[in-house]
Amino acid sequence: MENYRIFDSELDKLAHKVKQMCTQVNQQLIDVVIALKKGDLILANAVVKNDHAINNLDVKIDKLCQKIFALQQPVASDLRYIISALKINNDLERIGDHACNIAKRIEPLQDYQQLVEDLKIDSIGLKTTDLFGDVVELVNTHDLKFANQVMNKAELIKDECEQIGSSILSEMMHQSEVVVVAANILIIINLFERVASYSTNIAESIIFVVNGEIVKHKKHIENN
Amino acid sequence: MILEKIHTENMYLYYSGKMALKDISIQIPEKKVTAFIGPSGCGKSTFLRSLNRMNDLIDGVKIEGKVMIDAINIYDKNIDVVNLRKKVGMVFQKSNPFAKSIYENIAYGPKINGINNKNQLDEIVETALKNAAIWDEVKDRLGDSALGLSGGQQQRLCIARTLAVNPEIVLMDEPASALDPLSTAKIEELIVQLKEKYTIVIVTHNMQQAARISDNTAFFYLGELIEYDKTKKIFTNPERKQTEDYITGRFG
Repeated sequence: MENYRIFDSELDKLAHKVKQMCTQVNQQLIDVVIALKKGDLILANAVVKNDHAINNLDVKIDKLCQKIFALQQPVASDLRYIISALKINNDLERIGDHACNIAKRIEPLQDYQQLVEDLKIDSIGLKTTDLFGDVVELVNTHDLKFANQVMNKAELIKDECEQIGSSILSEMMHQSEVVVVAANILIIINLFERVASYSTNIAESIIFVVNGEIVKHKKHIENN
Repeated sequence: MILEKIHTENMYLYYSGKMALKDISIQIPEKKVTAFIGPSGCGKSTFLRSLNRMNDLIDGVKIEGKVMIDAINIYDKNIDVVNLRKKVGMVFQKSNPFAKSIYENIAYGPKINGINNKNQLDEIVETALKNAAIWDEVKDRLGDSALGLSGGQQQRLCIARTLAVNPEIVLMDEPASALDPLSTAKIEELIVQLKEKYTIVIVTHNMQQAARISDNTAFFYLGELIEYDKTKKIFTNPERKQTEDYITGRFG
């Protein structure tokens, strides 16, 4: 029989805030990808404005973790959970920043929607939001098998970003008039690649919560 | 290389026919701190006391299996229990200095063992008090009553008294549970220093203490050894659910 601990209400509060952070970041990513696809500057502006709410939540989660460490001295699975919550929170905040940075680069692309489409930027955006949807589910389920699937998916996106990056460089070499806009697109691609990388980090943190294994910096085994 | 100092094999202990320890097999390394944790009544203190045959003093205690120290079964008939307890010293929860001077508390054991030379005794007293990290606090008042010392100082005096007969193993049964945080910190620091020379086995209810000072931790429950591993492993990712539930306070 398990005892209810005062500590559990703090952990519940932390879990709730991390999920809230996931939901807010997810919405930011979805919105920025729509704004990018449609060239919607109003939506892009809203994404920039909403970033402060994510930053506020980031600070709240940090403070709550600090309080739990100081007052509850967590061990074992509790300790792993709180360490991971801190790291996941940090990764989420960075993803939020990247959504905001992408939003800021939509305006210069206004007259180049065809190039955006040709280079499959919106497609990579959709794949990234799909990946992040999986991350949100993973944070809720703590499913190890799913964590590996998320990491595999992130890997594919990162590879694709690299390929698109090479295509953009090639465009820049051949069409000097698109250098400025292509540079913006290159940065956006790089930001999507970073979102995929942070998604990998979050999956690694979930693996650490579940079985204590530190998998970062290890090339994960395909189809594991 | 880590040498094994104590090991038990399929050890059972009964109090008047009632099983208190069940099938305990454990290897305790030399010059390390090994902590025993578990809820009250789990058998951890009983097991600790069986390592220097303190349970012999209780009627109706029966032990089966092997309790080996330096590869010798300490329950063999030809074992001299007095010599065993010199080799395996013990410090208790409540400090218990004799109503004598600080000096006499330390010199008592060596005197009983036949050392009467004043210079030799002075040296033993000084070394023991230094090793127990209390020399600087008492060196100018060795003739004063030990009962005038604070609780934390009395406990360190008792540790010095144990060290004075030159043991190889020191068993500690909740040595800091009655002390304030500052005295507790001094005892913990002392334990970590002592492992350079001695094998330390400590029973504690304070899990943070076990985590801070021990190299290995054994978790006991209902007379059984549930899990024994490196302390770092026990407190970050224990193998057994019972251990996890106990150290995280989820035990019902």
